[in-house]
Order: sequence, then C-alpha cells, then structure tokens
Amino acid sequence: MWSKARKNLSLLAITSILCTMLAACGDTGGGASTATTGQTGGDQPTTAPTTAGATETTAPAGEATTPAGEATTPAGEATTPAGEGDGMTLPEGCTNVELSYWNPFTGPDGPFMGQMVEQFNTDNPTIKTTMTTQADYYTQIQTAAASDTLPDVAIIHVDQVPTWAFRNVLRPIDEVATATGLSEADYPEAVWNGGMVAGKRYSIPLDIHPMTMFYNADLLTAAGISAPPTNREEFEAAAQAITDKGQKGFMLTAGFPIQQIFSMLLYQNGGSWFNEDGTKATWNSEAGVEALTWLKEAQTKWSEPNLEVDAELAAFKAGGAGMIWNGIWQTTNVTGEGVSFKGVATSVPQIGDNPGTWAGSHQFTLPVHKSGNDECKDAAAAIFIKYMVDNSTTWAQAGQIPASNTVRESAEFQALDPQASIAPSVEGAFFPPAVPGITDAFQYLDTAVGTVMSGKETDIKKALDDAATQADQKLAENKATFGDAPSGTP
Amino acid sequence: MATIAREGEAVVGGALGRKKFNWTPYFFVLPHLIFFAVFLGYPFFRGLYMSFTQYDYLRPEATKFVGFHNYVRLFTPGDLTFNVFWNSMWNTVQFVLYSVPLLVVIPLGLAVLLNTKLPGRNFFRAVYFSPWVLSVAVISLLWWWIFQSQGGLMNHYLDQIGLETPRWLSTLPAAWAAIVIATVWWTIGFNMIILLAALQDIPGELYEAGQIDGATGAQAFFRITLPLLQPVMVFIIITTIIASFNLFGQPLLMTRGDPRVAGGGGGTEPVMMRIYQEGFANSAPDQGLAAAMSFIVAAIMIVVSIVNFRLFRQAD
Repeated sequence: MWSKARKNLSLLAITSILCTMLAACGDTGGGASTATTGQTGGDQPTTAPTTAGATETTAPAGEATTPAGEATTPAGEATTPAGEGDGMTLPEGCTNVELSYWNPFTGPDGPFMGQMVEQFNTDNPTIKTTMTTQADYYTQIQTAAASDTLPDVAIIHVDQVPTWAFRNVLRPIDEVATATGLSEADYPEAVWNGGMVAGKRYSIPLDIHPMTMFYNADLLTAAGISAPPTNREEFEAAAQAITDKGQKGFMLTAGFPIQQIFSMLLYQNGGSWFNEDGTKATWNSEAGVEALTWLKEAQTKWSEPNLEVDAELAAFKAGGAGMIWNGIWQTTNVTGEGVSFKGVATSVPQIGDNPGTWAGSHQFTLPVHKSGNDECKDAAAAIFIKYMVDNSTTWAQAGQIPASNTVRESAEFQALDPQASIAPSVEGAFFPPAVPGITDAFQYLDTAVGTVMSGKETDIKKALDDAATQADQKLAENKATFGDAPSGTP
Repeated sequence: MATIAREGEAVVGGALGRKKFNWTPYFFVLPHLIFFAVFLGYPFFRGLYMSFTQYDYLRPEATKFVGFHNYVRLFTPGDLTFNVFWNSMWNTVQFVLYSVPLLVVIPLGLAVLLNTKLPGRNFFRAVYFSPWVLSVAVISLLWWWIFQSQGGLMNHYLDQIGLETPRWLSTLPAAWAAIVIATVWWTIGFNMIILLAALQDIPGELYEAGQIDGATGAQAFFRITLPLLQPVMVFIIITTIIASFNLFGQPLLMTRGDPRVAGGGGGTEPVMMRIYQEGFANSAPDQGLAAAMSFIVAAIMIVVSIVNFRLFRQAD
C-alpha cells in the first residue's frame, strides 16, 4: 500500500504545487476586483477583543498605499535635532553605545519609524540604534523575557505597561525620564499618567492613536450635508439623511471595534470603565446603559444588523456606508487613494455631554536585563527617547497623533492633513487604570456589547451588570496573583 | 545450605542460559526513545505537574502548587472559567460532529471515482489534493473573502439566484457552515490519497469473482471494497477526529471566535483557542489552568479513540 502511495504522492506533490501556483494567480485577479481590507498586518491595539488573541487590528496591510507624496523624508525637514540641541550628551567614558530597539510597526507605519531611527543615528554618531520590527509582538516579548534577550528600548501599548511591569519585563525608569527632561506638562494628563505603575514611572508616551470618524464626503454632499457632524444633533441628522437616500448612514459591526465605540460613548456620557483603583467595573452605570441603548438604536436605524468584524470597512470602501468609526490606523485604507470616492478622516463627534475619545498609545519602555543595567545604554536611551518624541512629526506622517503637546502645536504638524484635524480629539483620550492584567476584564464587556448588538441579549442593563460582576471577579483574581507592586524589580 | 545455594545458582544459570538478556533490540529503539522522552515524555509529565500549579513562566515568584484547584474550578458551575471552557469544548465537539462524517465520506467517494480508469485521472487527483498543501492562513483568508458579507462571492451569487444571504461569519449556525466548508475543502485531499492507496491494494480478482457471481456495483462496493478498507478507515476516522479536535486556525482567522455568546466566550471559539487565551494571550495568563484544560481535552480524546477501536474490533 505504502509504496504505491509514495509513488502517487510524489507525482501529486509536483502537480499540486503547479496547480496551487496557478490557483493563486487566479485568486489575486479575483480579489482585486472586490473591496480590499487587510486582514493582517499593522500592530495591535491592545484593548481590542482579547478573545481573539492574535493580531486584532485590521490595519492597512501591504496593499494600502502610504501617503508617499506627502511624506517628505525627515532629512529635509527635521533640521532641529532636538536631542543635541538640549545639550544631552553621553556620560564620560561612554563611546559607541549600541542600542537595540523593538517595535510592532509591521504596517505601512514601519518605514517612517525606520527613517527616524536612521536620522537619529546620523545626528548622534556616538550611538548606534538597531531597530527590529516584529509581528506577533507580545509573544516575541514574552519569549525574549524568558530567555533574557530583551532589547534595550521597546515600544509597549500604554494599557499593557502595568502588566509587563508586573510580569518582570519592564523596569522603572524614573531616572531616565528625568534625564529626558520630559514631564507631565508636555503631555495630555491621561496619556502621561498611563506610564505610572505603583508609584514609579515605567514608560514615556510617543503617540496617541484615537478612534476616528471616516466619512464619504460624496454621500454627505448628496444628502445635503456640507460639513462633517461634530455633535449629536448633527450626527443623527447626517446619518438619517444618508439613510433616507438609500445608503447606510452609520455602519456598526457586532465585533471589534464595537466595544471600543461603546466605551467612548460611556465616557462621553460621564461614565467610566472602572473605579479609580481598578478593582471594580463601573460600565453598568446609567451612562453605560444610555450609551448602549443609543448604539443599538443607531444600528437599527442606520446600519445593517449582525455585521462581522471589518464588514463596515468593506461596506465603506464599496461606497455603501456614509460614516464609520474605526481606529486612525485605517486612514490609508479608507481615504485618499484607497477609495474611489472622497473618503475623509476627521475627529469623532461628541455624542454625549463630555469630550471623550477611545485611544491607544505607543510608549517607550526599558526592558529588564537580568545581568543588570548599563549606565551608558540608559543615558543613550534617554537621548534616543527624547529625540524620537521631539521629532514625532515624521511619525505623525504615518498616521499617528504625536503625544507631545509641543509637537502637536508645531506649525509642521498643523500642516498635516487629516492628522491635524483629528488631533484635538486626543485631549479627551482616556485609558484604563494602571493595574496589571486589567485588559483581561474587557473580554466580559466584549461579550455584553457583542451580544446586545447581535440581538442575542435584549436586556441591556442585565448584560452590562453580568459583565461587571464577572469582571470584578477577574480583577479580584488578578489582584490576588499580582499583589500591589512588581516583585521582581528592586 | 551450600547445596541449596548451588541448586539456586544452577537454576538461575539455566534460565540465563536459555533466555540470555540481549541489549541489541534496545539499541535499535534507543534513538527514537530519546526523542520520545525529550519531546513527548518529559513535556507530558511536566504539563501534568503544571496543571496542579498556578503558573506564570515570567513570574516564578508567583508560581505555586494548588493541587486539584484548577480542575475543581473547571468543574464548578459559576466559576469564571467554567462557562467559557465548556462553551468552547461544546463548540469543538460540534465541529467534530459536523466535519468528520464529511471528511470521511467525501474523500471515500472521490477515491472510488478516481480509482476508475478515468481519462485524466492524475490531473483530478492533483486537483483534489492541491488545497491540502496550502497553509491555514491562506485557506482561511480565501474563504473569508468568499463568505464576508459586503460583496463576498457566496452571498453575491446566492442573491443573484434569489436565495437568502446569511451572515456567514457573524451568526450561528451559518458561521459553523462556513468553517466546516473551508475545512472540508482544505483537507479532503489527504484522506482521499490514503484511501486511494488502500483501494489500489485490493486485488482485482476479488471484483472479477464478484462479477462472475453476478454482484452489482453497489454489492461489490459494500461487500468487497468497504470491508477490505476497514483497517484504513479506522486509521482515517481516528486521525480525522483528532485533527478536528485540534481546530484552531480557521475560526481564529475567519470569525475570531465570534459571535459573542451570552455567558461568555464565542459561538465559534474552539477549545484550543480558549486554552491559548488562558495560557498565553491573557494579560494575567495562567499556564497551570491552561494545562488543566489541555489534560481534560486529552482525556476526552483518549476515551473517544478507545471507543473507536472497540467499535471497529467488534465489527471484525
């Protein structure tokens, strides 16, 4: 039996490889004609549904065209090498310091970061930074931590900082932070506080990537709306007007990022995810019920029911949806060259009484080295971080909003479209309390919002209550295992 | 006393003389035994030990022995892990029930067809086998495109012929249909090749004898082909069940385990995804709990395999 099988198999292997290649060619042709959404690529906003585990975002994949035209190389622009201008120098005896730097920027944003690192190396001949960009980033971090091969500097999402601090991956960097000269005054309060864990500083913010509204300007104009809506009345009117014209006014999925959208409305209504010390979930407040009720009604009135993840993006790209809310990382995917109509990105409208924007933030951290820390490297890291923050206009061209107030106010940044128009919304960005493992609590909120939006659960208050009860249990469990302060660090 | 001793010696000596201990066969199995011990034996017992601990490999200071606590939690209704674990377990069982019959019957049919003297049969064998060489990421993305709701191929054609257009990736049971169809398309080739090889081993004389006795095609199939395929069928059924139990990549990439179900977890979240979630993806992971889940799954799979063997042995 097996000798024959082997003969057959070898023949088959060859023919099937040929067939597969042919089939693959055919697929490319077919795929191009339909709307294209990247399923992979990009980095992961970490408050995304934790159940999926793997790459959460649908950040524009390889095919998304980077705004190459706008993106002039930093060589021409960045004539103010701030790191050196501030007189930050390496301590005596430190020469040719090598810094390894990891980040998760596998999307079209990666090359922008690469340019910045190259420019830094040119401007600081005594420091040689090597950048490594990795997919499946946090798995890589964990593995490196287990084998004590962590880099000298690493990008970590703000809501992950406490977790990795408690899991012996990150170390406190109060001294490095002082050396950079960056302080609370340079940032929106929430994003700066996100780096404080158990009374110590663990990270320094680079950017904020907020929830963004994308609208089809052609559909809006056809419905008689001239400017993008900024408040509840305008938004509801616009969504209705587009729906009346036979398109979907405002498309919502039953999966990612619906929980993030709910959370934003929760904060806009004056609610919050957790109590201050992160021990109790508080999303089942009146503000939460109101937020989810509004979302459910919005789905009924202006969207299709039961849409899967990414369906709103696909519908938008096909020209069938007036407005959608998704992460700013979708900008190149659904605006400009990415679509055949006038797709525009702008800040999300304020539906509730308070400003509030769901957002993630990339932050610089210094990982643990079991052999101890190198003073020269720490000094070099401070210079590097300061340089990156000061020159984050280049980074903004990749579609992120710089966290630094000075950079956001600079004329150079204000000239960037649409980043400049989205920037004001990051003032209202909120982040979970700096408690380890807190992002695990969101899986219960995912369930509550997901089941209400898919119609499996009709009692909104009960769904949110149940989720809060379960989250409280999880938070108590986490507290029991993590304790009050990271134990591994001195 | 001396005599007794001598007698004893003689007995022992005699036994050794007849059955002299021979190391040679053990040296033959040694290379594999080493690999087995290092890569299967040690991890197995290590995993078993881990399932009795609370374990985070990045926080050795927090790792502690908890006895049967993890197992007790998984069997206590109302515990945070109870609903999500058994929900995912049931999802996996559903997938096994939907996919295994299709993955046995369709390849069998194809193998019988392609075992005839059909012109261009090598081409067809290659065609049916070819999806199997693709990776799970490729086939999931391919079928995701076909099933997605906004301009996906499937709903486009269903709509054109006036049929209902379900949300293939975000509602039940359509999501299971999508995952099962993708999996069947992807893996029928392997089972087909094994069955084809087995079919070619059945001597042609048996069919000739059957023909002379006036057996119809169907009789030949049920009285000659099927009984002679039985050993291979046992192999196929067991490996297919195990493969289906290990479902992970397709729902991860096609549905992300959605839709969310009341009580926690996802409607298409298989147990492997839950284990991965609890062991590695969570911010506060517990590899001890994940190991306990794995051992429960392993126990269930062992029971299923034993039942399988018993059933087919009785049929002999």
